[in-house]
Amino acid sequence: MSDSTEEPLFSVRDLVIDLYTEQVSVRAVDGVSLDVYPGEVLAVVGESGSGKTVMTLGPLGLLPEGVSVDIRGYAECSGQSLLARSGKELARLRGENFGIIFQDPISALNPMKKVGPQLASQAMRLRAVSKAQARVIALELLQRTGIPDPEGRYNCYPHEMSGGMLQRVMIALALAGNPKILIADEPTTALDATVQAQILELLQDIQRKENIAIVLITHDISVVAQMADRVAVLYAGRVAEYGTMEDVLTRPIHPYTKGLLSSVPDFRGQRTEPVTGIPGSPPDQSSLLPGCRFAERCPAAQHQCREKRPALVEMADVNKAHRVACPIAVSEGWGQSNDS
Amino acid sequence: MPDSLKLSSIAKWPWAVLTPVLLFVAVSILAPWITPYDPAAQDYSAVLQGFSQEHWLGTDYLGRDMFSRIIAGARVSLVAMSIVLAAALIIGVMVGSFAGYVGGRTELVLISLIDIILSLPSLVVALAFIGIIGPGYWSMIAALTMAWWANYARMSRAVVTSELHQPYIEAARVMGAGHLHIFCRHILPHVLALVVVYASADAGALVLAIATLSFLGLGVEPPTPEWGQMLVDGMNYLEQYPHLVILPGLALTLVVSSFNLLGEHFALKKVPKGLSKRRLGILKKRRAREEMNMLEQEAKA
Repeated sequence: MSDSTEEPLFSVRDLVIDLYTEQVSVRAVDGVSLDVYPGEVLAVVGESGSGKTVMTLGPLGLLPEGVSVDIRGYAECSGQSLLARSGKELARLRGENFGIIFQDPISALNPMKKVGPQLASQAMRLRAVSKAQARVIALELLQRTGIPDPEGRYNCYPHEMSGGMLQRVMIALALAGNPKILIADEPTTALDATVQAQILELLQDIQRKENIAIVLITHDISVVAQMADRVAVLYAGRVAEYGTMEDVLTRPIHPYTKGLLSSVPDFRGQRTEPVTGIPGSPPDQSSLLPGCRFAERCPAAQHQCREKRPALVEMADVNKAHRVACPIAVSEGWGQSNDS
Repeated sequence: MPDSLKLSSIAKWPWAVLTPVLLFVAVSILAPWITPYDPAAQDYSAVLQGFSQEHWLGTDYLGRDMFSRIIAGARVSLVAMSIVLAAALIIGVMVGSFAGYVGGRTELVLISLIDIILSLPSLVVALAFIGIIGPGYWSMIAALTMAWWANYARMSRAVVTSELHQPYIEAARVMGAGHLHIFCRHILPHVLALVVVYASADAGALVLAIATLSFLGLGVEPPTPEWGQMLVDGMNYLEQYPHLVILPGLALTLVVSSFNLLGEHFALKKVPKGLSKRRLGILKKRRAREEMNMLEQEAKA
């Protein structure tokens, strides 16, 4: 954890990302500003298509080919701007600063290459060391990510390892370049529950011991509850609510956050209200319309919601770091009366 | 390499690729109407002439009009090529898909047969076949089909094998779809998508093979005008009248390379690609206007 007086490692300001194809133009990210501080876990949550992946990977130039991307606003990492850079410069910045963990390790690792050499070649490239040194680093990385018998596993092919082991290798690979920030794009979605817990523990361990910041992209609220320091809730490319994990998960203000939380089933049966979900479906992001994007589905929506896009405002009286993009919920205390 | 010469840049100029192919097809179809002379008519009063008003591209040793013969030759090439390609495609897709779908020993036998054919150069296979059934137009077609289908069979089998294990096939099976339905509705489109693209590039090679066989005297028989045939006829006069060889050779080169480019064009089209700079600019402007509109509306409210 860290306080916001520190310099952010990675920050985006008023980030707008438009995706263009021959058929549609989609505003995937619509004016997002976020900071990631050293050693903190920022969880980015939202439905599929809310822009959480595009927002994080877009400034790094990692969006799929075949889509024309237009990024505006500002994005920087350790004081260096990420936008308007050549592919080569961006690749260097990515290598120096970021490690990425994908959802599906089996397709993120080269099936034709043994895992050890895969790690070693990455370490060789990113740390500029000799082959022998790279091997030592690779073994150490395997050790660090909790893989038993690293020497023996070094010469395994990806298909010879289990999903949980592979995810550990994937994390080792992400750490090969000594990153300052780990981006974990739904790191546990493809794993079963017990392995999921182990992987989260490992990530947390790494984050605490080495002070690496983690951007956790997920739609799994329980993962957020276990891992995150801060949470940004994204809806239709905009931040609906931002704050510490405790604030957002236990004292949600924005109607969307409340809806999202009430959509999570609780297996212990302690929940008093039934699982409700949110009626309707996410809006069409291909046209730009005034007003709150959530208004169509919002139980608290009023006339003014359809006229102006709500700004993200600080909850002055409660907690400076807690920001909500809903004037109705903030001013009328709609949240409080409906809470508890 | 300058940007304009990169192979990938041909995808930006579809008409540059399509025009020669379309021209070839149009000329072939219209050949009987646009040839100024009967391509087989001999005129001993005007043999081995150069370019002139009457005979645009001159005449050969029998006084036949070269322009008419090249155009008529295009038709012969196109017709023979289309028949062989269609036959090879149908046989190849059927045999290959059957092998891939059925699997087991049947697949092993069929795939071995395909491998044997593929291990031999296709012209050797065609020559051997012509050696058995004798030369002639239709035996050339049969021989080339024999030599050509195996390629398509191999591709079809590979696609079928990989698609067969996809979850959507299993889903179709669970829903009670029959083999024929699964194959025709779910697998065949994948097979055709690949095979047709390959065929468009293969057409050039086939035109060349037809010319080669005719050149060797094993294909189209005289007096039918055919480019390979014309090359042989012109060979004897190579030193005095090189245009008799150069012109049909040029026609052949143009057609083969334009078909190759067409195949390349189709192959590149399947790769997703960003929008062109110009198009992106237009869309960005449109988006900017939309944004202005939205901001104005919000300001009013």
